[in-house]
Amino acid sequence: MLCRLRVNGETRDCAVVPHTTLLEALRYALGLTGSKQGCDKGDCGACTVVIDGESALSCISIALACEGRDIVTIEGLARNGIPHPLQDALDVTGGAQCGFCTPGILMSAWALLERNPRPSRDEIALALSGNLCRCTGYTKIIDAVELAASQSAERP
Amino acid sequence: MKAPRNNEPPPKGDAPRKRDAPQAESTATGMKVPGGRDMPREDRLKPPQWPGGRAQPPGASFHVIGRRNRKIEGLAKVTGRAIYADDIALPRMLHAKLKRSIHAHARIVRIDAREALAMPGVHAVITGRDLPEYFGIIPWTQDEQALCETKARYVGDAIAAVAADSEWLAEEALKRIHVEYEPLPAITCIDEALEHPEWRVNEKSSEGNLSKHVHLEFGDVDGELAGSDAVVGGDYWYEGSTHAPIEPHCCVADFDATGFLTLYSSTQVAHYLHRDLAKVLGVKAQRIRVIQPVVGGAFGGKSEPFSLEFCAAKLSMQTGRPVKILYTREEVFYAHRGRHPMRLCYRTGIRRDGTLTGVDARIAIDGGAYSSFGLVTTYYSGQLLTAPYRMSAYRFDSTRVFTNKPCCGPKRGHGSVQPRFAFECQIDKLAEVIGMDPIEVRRRNSIGEHTRTVNGMRITSNGFAECLDEVERASDWKRKFRRLPYGRGVGVAGSMYISGTNYCIYPNEMPQSGVQLKLDRSGRATVFCGASDIGQGVDSVLAMIVAEELGLDLGDIRVVAADTDLTPVDLGSYSSRETFMVGNACLDAARKLREQVAGTLAARWGCAASEITLAGGVACSVRDPERECMSVREAFQATEARHGTLGSVGWYQSPKLGGDYRGGTIGASPAYSFTAHVAEVECDPETGFVRVSNIWVAHDCGRALSPVAVEGQMEGSAYMGFAEAMFEQHVFKPAAVHHGPGLHDGPSLLDYRIPTSLDTPDLVSLIVESVDPEGPYGAKEAGEGPLHPSVPAIANAIHDALGIRCDRLPFHPPRVLSLLRAGDARAAWEKARGRVATAPVAGVGGSGAGRSGAGRSGAGAC
Amino acid sequence: MLTLPAFEWLRPANLDDALAHLANHAAESLVVAGGTDAVPNLKHRLHEPRWIVHLGRLDELRFVRESEGALSIGPLVTLSAIARHEGIRRDFPSLARAASLVASPQIRNMGTLGGNLCLDTRCTYYNQTYFWRDALGFCLKKDGVRCHVVPQGRRCVAAHSSDVSPVLISLDASVDISNARGSRTVPVDEFFVGDGVHNNVLVPGELVTRVTIPAASRGLRAAYQKLRPRAAIDFPMLSVAFAARVSDGGCEHARLVVSALGAKPRRIGGLDALVKGRPLDDALGEALAEAAYRQCRPLTNVAYDDAYRHEMVPVFVRRAVREAGGIA
Ligand SMILES: Cc1cc2nc3c(=O)[nH]c(=O)nc-3n(C[C@H](O)[C@H](O)[C@H](O)COP(=O)(O)OP(=O)(O)OC[C@H]3O[C@@H](n4cnc5c(N)ncnc54)[C@H](O)[C@@H]3O)c2cc1C
Ligand code: SF4
Ligand code: FES
Ligand code: FES
Repeated sequence: MLCRLRVNGETRDCAVVPHTTLLEALRYALGLTGSKQGCDKGDCGACTVVIDGESALSCISIALACEGRDIVTIEGLARNGIPHPLQDALDVTGGAQCGFCTPGILMSAWALLERNPRPSRDEIALALSGNLCRCTGYTKIIDAVELAASQSAERP
Repeated sequence: MKAPRNNEPPPKGDAPRKRDAPQAESTATGMKVPGGRDMPREDRLKPPQWPGGRAQPPGASFHVIGRRNRKIEGLAKVTGRAIYADDIALPRMLHAKLKRSIHAHARIVRIDAREALAMPGVHAVITGRDLPEYFGIIPWTQDEQALCETKARYVGDAIAAVAADSEWLAEEALKRIHVEYEPLPAITCIDEALEHPEWRVNEKSSEGNLSKHVHLEFGDVDGELAGSDAVVGGDYWYEGSTHAPIEPHCCVADFDATGFLTLYSSTQVAHYLHRDLAKVLGVKAQRIRVIQPVVGGAFGGKSEPFSLEFCAAKLSMQTGRPVKILYTREEVFYAHRGRHPMRLCYRTGIRRDGTLTGVDARIAIDGGAYSSFGLVTTYYSGQLLTAPYRMSAYRFDSTRVFTNKPCCGPKRGHGSVQPRFAFECQIDKLAEVIGMDPIEVRRRNSIGEHTRTVNGMRITSNGFAECLDEVERASDWKRKFRRLPYGRGVGVAGSMYISGTNYCIYPNEMPQSGVQLKLDRSGRATVFCGASDIGQGVDSVLAMIVAEELGLDLGDIRVVAADTDLTPVDLGSYSSRETFMVGNACLDAARKLREQVAGTLAARWGCAASEITLAGGVACSVRDPERECMSVREAFQATEARHGTLGSVGWYQSPKLGGDYRGGTIGASPAYSFTAHVAEVECDPETGFVRVSNIWVAHDCGRALSPVAVEGQMEGSAYMGFAEAMFEQHVFKPAAVHHGPGLHDGPSLLDYRIPTSLDTPDLVSLIVESVDPEGPYGAKEAGEGPLHPSVPAIANAIHDALGIRCDRLPFHPPRVLSLLRAGDARAAWEKARGRVATAPVAGVGGSGAGRSGAGRSGAGAC
Repeated sequence: MLTLPAFEWLRPANLDDALAHLANHAAESLVVAGGTDAVPNLKHRLHEPRWIVHLGRLDELRFVRESEGALSIGPLVTLSAIARHEGIRRDFPSLARAASLVASPQIRNMGTLGGNLCLDTRCTYYNQTYFWRDALGFCLKKDGVRCHVVPQGRRCVAAHSSDVSPVLISLDASVDISNARGSRTVPVDEFFVGDGVHNNVLVPGELVTRVTIPAASRGLRAAYQKLRPRAAIDFPMLSVAFAARVSDGGCEHARLVVSALGAKPRRIGGLDALVKGRPLDDALGEALAEAAYRQCRPLTNVAYDDAYRHEMVPVFVRRAVREAGGIA
């Protein structure tokens, strides 16, 4: 079937069988391999993307169900090749070790900051509570979100 | 290929050693060893010496090392551009899946794949007969086949593989491969394995279900225990756990028309994989290229070859098309190689003044169905306990058995996390008995630097005492220990770990790590190295060393790593060896080029080479930096004009280390790291729920080449230890009338609960730098050591909080509650605090300084 | 990765189209709203429908409305919308609380009220892959004949695991149910049945179209308590919803629901006599805790110590009562 998705502001068509998840469509049909697969079924958050402004799990979303919705993936965060402040902050704090949870973490964090630009540490931890990271112990990830939030608050 | 050789030295008196004769490793090793015997001297490649030593910066101070630099691949990761194995798609690529055993133990009578092969889009099916060759990471315990040929040994053991046009089709085809089994009695615990030697799990074992037995004694343990003022005995159970990297195992194999195989795999040991592929596939090693893409976490879970790699390769050879295999999360649990469940019994003696005397350990290890690193695990369970505390006499008796469960192996802190848990709890109990502050007990027994352990391990730098000071200070220990209100508490523990081992897994005299360095006249450096970056940041370590030595910006350095065609051998990411060994190899290569560059400039400016500084892209003399100055690029060009094309090689081979007894090299490392933790807990006595609120981690990493990376390892390690302590259980369903034993309890990230951001304590990392004489710039490991004390520190904190001893993992609410019910915990709690308060060496100024208030008592409810 | 089974795709444009399709093909169709329960279950081959009927375009089922004091919520409203909704937080805080404790932020953004209410029951022998269940020998809920929790039993006792429904019962909510022929209204208290294979009264072809909390439930003193091993992602191992009407003369009436134990939420019986005229205090909490402990029997259907879950029943009831009573 033809599946028409609006991803990172672009309309993209791909041919998929109905039993294709959004994650499979993004990764294997559209070449957007930034979103990761960690657990197959909603338990880890590695596949997190933002749909209509809210973080969502692409591994348990059916691709065809996402037609007509606005999807943002990790590839859509940077603007004109310049990393988003969140991406930059995560790099500075060392919050990406193996980096496999990172795209999902960034999408959850991005959705948080869009809604709440100055979150507390507890709010950050809550917003990331559906994203498992096995490497970092979350400390430097939470530091990064805090740092990004404080930096964007400083900008006029 | 040469026959495998034994890397354990033969018994004493057998010199000169016949190193080429194959030597079978017997299952059992037992002997009594006089304390402190050294290995006989033997010639080995000797690392180069530099004036000032390797611990010093090339110039007056460091410019790159020790700074909070970004990782070189960091931006690729945060922008989603880093390429992991499953991100690779080759033209005409097929997808394969493995058929796995539904029985814990069964003879394979017949496999009928006709129905699967008849499906349109299914291209090939292979079974054990197609890959009969045995393999295994340890050369003398090769007991695995890529696909079981005659017998399946656990639920999930791989039996057949099918390649098809899509993953979906391959999965459908699995249901059409019919396997006829003859079920056999299954063994699922240590006791069954020992009681039923006739139910043989693994035919390659030399005796019953015994995988390995080691008995070693150093000094007079019984005498020391008898002469102690107090002896404490304890039985502990360390539950199994698994690595659970977020990236599942994945590989892509591409066998081309010229007979050349390329394998991309999410591995941490590209070199060993390369060797075993050649062995199992019967393809010459020089016709195989293994490439490690970016790896999404490993922790030891990807440190040996797995079925998927052989099967993808074989299917690619059969179909002439690239083949990908991606494990499902469930299959990752079956691949396992995680923490061994261990039953540990300790007797430990102490004198009234706090001196530890004799230590006696009996350890039973549940190995799962295969050997994996089990031989080493069995040694490590005893050999790595002999520091950071001095002990006068030590004996351990460790037995690893085979069971019908996924194979255990090396998980972060391989083999030594379990005994460390037991032993650090022992020390806490001993401290209580003699009424001494547990930090003080540890301090008094600290073994110190430049010394030797009771089992003959050489200790160089040692910052353990400082680690204790740091956690004591940062946690405000003196005001908290035995002084917090009921339900809250603090606990301490210490540990040490290796920075690589002094031998390669397969015996040889070649370097353990090699680096090639190329300088380009554009001002760029490229490092070629077999090292495996699994997220710990070793690629960045390589770049930082080159940047430091040659005065380059990090962005001007490219690291080409873990590609067996392009990079010299490094043994891989295991036993915390990368920074130490690869770092040394890289330092070697970089210093050789630096000498050429500095020599060229010195000749030009008429000064000594030692007066040349290379930093921040600028080369100058210290004498007249204003005029005698050029860009590093120009310096490279001048050097190339003088010496010809610029390149160098560097390598590292550790000195020969260890004790002169069978197994005396296992656990020997060129340098040891040291760690201390203090954990703070808040417990809810009504629900048994324990919230670990803080862990302070002090770690002696020699020198923090990259403080951000070291902290990351400390935090990640403390997290992983905390997770094992509080949540994780790699366990199996018991047999019931209607189903057999050995079924995984819940092979998913929902049922195997790794902590979320809301569960994780505040982790505070405190770096201690002892500057090791042999480490690159003084560095030692930081990746595994800092995990060890988490578990006992939490157990000891729970005792401080509630008066109960958690001697079994995990310390989850049902267990804590049952311990609270079992005895008079409150009385034990009162008694414990009485003890330190009245003790002569309590090390606490003033009393009643405890913080008031009940604190947040975290309930199981939310 | 785990794949989905093949199916045909339907995304009706409105409720009538959806009901029309279901009228003919209900048995071969699986309704999917947020998909957070249905999709993992499909990957496990627990459902193998011919059609997936996706409700995503049924905007008419996405509303939160107040009329004459009653609050009605469309089944497609997401859990995070409920947790965030100001009116709900103010008037029915235990409902907002329960919604906020479901799973993880992403799943709350996707998961709907209707899906939560109609959540399939859960069991450690059931929520597993096809391979795993094959190794087990399957069970009577799907593909097999035996129950592994109660081997002699003939009924499935998989655990009702929705966080929101116990609260809805405690608030005396009702659900509107429609099929192609018409609709009916059922109190949530009567929505569930004690059969783990299919634990509600929906018959094939029916959809939940509205959930209503009556005006009379405003001003109840209510609370929700959830036992879960981790502070996020995990399903409840035990849940307690409590609501009481309290006036100057003490408690007039109370509802106590304990769930995540068996196939349906258990409403603790005999409460009225127990609470009448008594203040909402610790003594009452103790009495209710005792009653609940006696009436509940956790099973080994979820992989968490059943004896412990039983022990926690009174503890969580006490805590719910304290929370409702505003006792610090
Ligand atoms: C990792 C994980 C953790 C979870 N933890 C929790 C938890 O802690 N607590 C909890 O309560 N749930 C939990 N869930 C389950 C689930 O996410 C939620 O219950 C969610 O609310 C389900 O809503 P949905 O819209 O996604 O349901 P769907 O998956 O779309 O549907 C679920 C079921 O309801 C039926 N259905 C949906 N809408 C209707 C309707 N209008 N009429 C009739 N039938 C309908 C579907 O046919 C299906 O059988 C968890 C899920 C996952 C994957
Ligand atoms: S309760 Fe019994 S029948 Fe129901 S899902 Fe569990 S094992 Fe199957
Ligand atoms: S891959 Fe989607 S939640 Fe794990
Ligand atoms: S950085 Fe590796 S899982 Fe998070």
